[in-house]
Amino acid sequence: MKFYVNARYLIVPFMSLIAIVGILFGGSFAWVGVGLFALNTLIDTLTKNIHLAADFDDSGESYGIKKLQYSVMFLMLPVFIALQVVLAYRIFQYNADAPIVINSFLGLSYQAGISGFNLIGATVSSGLWAGLGIIYGHELSHNKKEGFLVSRLIMALSGAAHFTYAHVYNHHLDLGHEDDPATAPRGRNIYTHAWLSHMGQSRFSYILEQQRLRKRGSSALNIDNRWILGYLYSLPSIVLFVWAGGGVGVAALFSVWVIANFLLEALNFMGHYGLIRKDGPVEHRHSWDNDSVFTSWFFIEIGRQCDHHVRGETYFWELDDVEGPNYGIGYFSLFVITLIPPLFRVYVQKHLENWDEKYASAEEKLIAQKFAY
Amino acid sequence: MLNFFRRSPANFAVNLAESDISFNVERGDSLLSSALGAGVPWPFKCKVGSCGKCKCRLVDGKIKPQLDFGYVLDISEIKQGYILACQSVPKSDITVSVNLNENEMDGK
Repeated sequence: MKFYVNARYLIVPFMSLIAIVGILFGGSFAWVGVGLFALNTLIDTLTKNIHLAADFDDSGESYGIKKLQYSVMFLMLPVFIALQVVLAYRIFQYNADAPIVINSFLGLSYQAGISGFNLIGATVSSGLWAGLGIIYGHELSHNKKEGFLVSRLIMALSGAAHFTYAHVYNHHLDLGHEDDPATAPRGRNIYTHAWLSHMGQSRFSYILEQQRLRKRGSSALNIDNRWILGYLYSLPSIVLFVWAGGGVGVAALFSVWVIANFLLEALNFMGHYGLIRKDGPVEHRHSWDNDSVFTSWFFIEIGRQCDHHVRGETYFWELDDVEGPNYGIGYFSLFVITLIPPLFRVYVQKHLENWDEKYASAEEKLIAQKFAY
Repeated sequence: MLNFFRRSPANFAVNLAESDISFNVERGDSLLSSALGAGVPWPFKCKVGSCGKCKCRLVDGKIKPQLDFGYVLDISEIKQGYILACQSVPKSDITVSVNLNENEMDGK
């Protein structure tokens, strides 16, 4: 049982390595990361009706092995760095017009040089899998001191180190309220939300730092400003891609960041779209659960938002179904729907009507009436 | 020299100043989660170190902060020994002062 509970959360590390190897092999394999994403969407959709509870032994103890899960999360930092390095290597070859030939290394054939088409595949693969860094960046932003820095470094690879502070000090405190940029109000589409949420969280982090430094009598223009420091953490990525490919490298890194941050904000969008909180503590009803089996395992239970926002200190493997609002499908399936805003609006309407009827407080219902679905 | 290799105790005792309430904290657990587990009506809201509702004053003993308290507490409060219970892991037996009557939720 212990093996099963812990091994099921290793899908992303395993698939990330496959995406890296794909880019290294080159040719059509550069698209492997994209193909895996499509495959995951299919698996998630086919298994959407399977929902499992968290596993505990007879004494109520979790089977999760904390040291193992934390080691994996920490080790994902070098994995995500490797993802950028192999892309930069391919950009370097493309920029240098390296001849496209089949070479062999330790008996394995790989393609040296890369076509523009396959470079696009490598870039999109990198963006998609870098974007999945959010599941580790998120988990490590809570809980323990050492993990916080690793969270910042993982997010910095996507130019989003501000997330770690904004998530803890803004999203968890102001969830469901207009002061939380990560909560999408009813009627907003995912594309608008991605931009507004990203900028809103960065702005919050800056103001948070400004206030912290002001308390100490320091200026915001300070190397001790963790908002500035977060962007400086992204500098090695920028230097690497500029060195590897000049303008092409910058375009590729920009694409990776856009894709990765879009995925991050898509998770925020799906986790809280249209939910309202007037006063009082965050309760289960202020989040949407997405806990179909594949989503739960792949996204290391980040879809158990209802439980997470009430027990923010709880490790992901201990989060459970708390019978809160639930879309009933997984993140991959829902993500595809959100990409088509008119379709999402139709899909979400029945869920919002259900929320208004069964979950909302009287005050929250009044606010809900001001919004069109 | 031998003290260097000695394992710290599995539990630490927490005493609430000006009351007869006490409870144990397992090594590595937070002060707040242990208090709530022991049935102490400790004030809290977010449990992730962002609201400040669980703040208390460390009167005696050592804790390890899990997050920077400076975002939520004033410098003067930190100098007076105030800590956030949800982000404090005791490193010795401790005595803390907390207002258990401040449990009503306020605003957002």
